[in-house]
Amino acid sequence: MAEPSHIPHEFTACPDCDLLLQTAQSDHTLEGRCPRCKAVLWHAAKHTDTVSFAAAISGLILFYPAMTLPILKLKMVGQHGSNSLLGGIYRMWLEQEQILAVLIMLCSLLAPLLHLLLTAVVCFSVRFNHYPRHFPLWIKYKCLMQNWNMLEVYAMGVIVAYVKMMHDGEVTVSAGTYCLSALLLCVILCSQYFHEEQAWQHWEKNKPA
Amino acid sequence: MSISAQQRGIARCTECGKLSHLPELGHDATAACPRCNTALNFRKPQSLQRSWAYTIAATALMIPANILPILTVISFGQGDPDTIMSGVVKLWVADLQAIAVIVFIASIAVPVLKLVILVILMLVVQCQLPLSRQQCTILYRFIHFIGRWSMLDLFMISILVTLVHLGNIATVESGPAATAFAAVVVLTLFAANSFDPRLIWDLDND
Repeated sequence: MAEPSHIPHEFTACPDCDLLLQTAQSDHTLEGRCPRCKAVLWHAAKHTDTVSFAAAISGLILFYPAMTLPILKLKMVGQHGSNSLLGGIYRMWLEQEQILAVLIMLCSLLAPLLHLLLTAVVCFSVRFNHYPRHFPLWIKYKCLMQNWNMLEVYAMGVIVAYVKMMHDGEVTVSAGTYCLSALLLCVILCSQYFHEEQAWQHWEKNKPA
Repeated sequence: MSISAQQRGIARCTECGKLSHLPELGHDATAACPRCNTALNFRKPQSLQRSWAYTIAATALMIPANILPILTVISFGQGDPDTIMSGVVKLWVADLQAIAVIVFIASIAVPVLKLVILVILMLVVQCQLPLSRQQCTILYRFIHFIGRWSMLDLFMISILVTLVHLGNIATVESGPAATAFAAVVVLTLFAANSFDPRLIWDLDND
């Protein structure tokens, strides 16, 4: 089998239009865009993994309360109702909507959890220069989970549900909402400040033979 | 004249973005990225076939998703099932225009737009339509960015079903359209992911 051979680092290809480009190292200032289709080719790496590491750890701490504490509380004719993220998934499962329950669990629970966990592990590895054998898989799964992480959409869903029930009863925002907002902030910081190319380059330089 | 990486025999790894010289492969032979060990190809394999399959399946499921009831609000034993559109209309009539617009965009406009844009992009590649390559790429990025927001309705159903669970006073039940709609969302996400935007630019290189 023919092996693919290496290309020097000063070349890059646009992910969206496959334009072959030469990049000078001094160009790595702020953000590089493809001259033909304007895709982002690279962005500046400034103390980035510190921020994403911190955000991932904070997110993991906030994770359990954000999932289990009540997000909204409803009072209607003397009766009380409340919901949490985990409770919502469980309720859907009980209501014979198992497929929906699994999808919602993937997008609002599993993906955020794995995204934060894998980011923390990858940042930890880069920081302490210790690369386990399955490091490339971790970065790959981290990207996959980042795509399925839809917490921001869930937060919008909370707002829509709040406004929708406003007229029918007394809706109050509860502790879970604050945890969820903070968790959302952590997830956004975590994905904005993570520098993938840097992690890959670290791995390439230090991978165990 | 701009040169694509493929014309130089260079492939970009879809996972880690590393460039490698991809040698001429025989039948059944595969190559792996030297950095992350992902299968290496010049373009996403069977990109158009997969995108068409997902798009057609999603279009078919749009019908049950929009005709069947998605949500039933029962208060004091009374309540009619709502489809996606009648839910939007009810919100609008109840003077909640802002929320009605958000729900309309997330659950009707976005899925329809996504399917239309996907069909346009695939027709551009297949029939070599002379549309601006730049604008097609912008459309591709747009459907990638906006796709996830269709999940809004499903999350809202999960929240409402749990929150309004008050026995005889009021309950909210999900309907069969919810599963169909979830399938539409997931299938359009897959369709957008399997489409390779570089195919649009390849038209200029031939």
